[in-house]
Amino acid sequence: MLKSIKRFLGGNRGEPIVIVSGLPRSGTSMLMRMLDRGGFEIMTDAERVADVDNPNGYFEYERVKHLEKETDKSYVREGRGKVLKVISFLIKDLPDDNDYRVIFMRRDLDEVITSQNKMIDRLGTQDTTADREAMKEAYRNDIVRTRLLCKNRPNFELIEIHYKQTIEDPVATARELNGFLGGKLDEAAMSAGVDANLYRNKA
Amino acid sequence: MLGSKSVKVKLDRDLFDRLRKVADVAGYATAEEFVTHVLEKEMLHFEDAGSDDDIRDKLKGLGYIS
Repeated sequence: MLKSIKRFLGGNRGEPIVIVSGLPRSGTSMLMRMLDRGGFEIMTDAERVADVDNPNGYFEYERVKHLEKETDKSYVREGRGKVLKVISFLIKDLPDDNDYRVIFMRRDLDEVITSQNKMIDRLGTQDTTADREAMKEAYRNDIVRTRLLCKNRPNFELIEIHYKQTIEDPVATARELNGFLGGKLDEAAMSAGVDANLYRNKA
Repeated sequence: MLGSKSVKVKLDRDLFDRLRKVADVAGYATAEEFVTHVLEKEMLHFEDAGSDDDIRDKLKGLGYIS
């Protein structure tokens, strides 16, 4: 209720931007695919193409990767009424002149880190980061920060979706997402977009 | 020292006794000062994303930030 009042006082921001977020390799691309199939327009430039790590595509918008450094973020407004993928670390850098509905994907941190390490190996990039336990602690803090931020900023609303539960029961996740986003999505098409075969890194 | 807008927080007696001993040995003026210092330090982990270089390096390696 308080958030609704604050949003009203914030002026006309247009339709909310749906943000699919989470740690990299937590299942955000799977969520994007679900929403795409369910009828939501995706804000993507399709620059990052499907590969062995994400055979069904990434659904990314390249410019978002510069959110932390870039000062002109007005382009984010183009995402009003659409879905935009933004990793949790960059949520803090989203401009305040939009309303956001954040779908936050949660996954076992060991599975996330294992999957990330395999991807880094395949990409051939240098990994200078801390050991697994320190990385898990850093990610736990990142998750708490995201929750805090969405709670404290009146133009943010958050729902958390769990990767494993989505794999096990995509119909339930599709229903939950549709409820959060206004009830106009094709739930059957959304749940059909979940490919359980891609659950390859298990704890 | 706590300011005029301080609030009370209930703690387990045994925990408070341990806190008081550590605060004394560590040179804090009061147990309250020690608790305040620890809590402020701990909260920085959650409030200050800019300092998280481990995450930033990892995300760069994965191609998720520039």
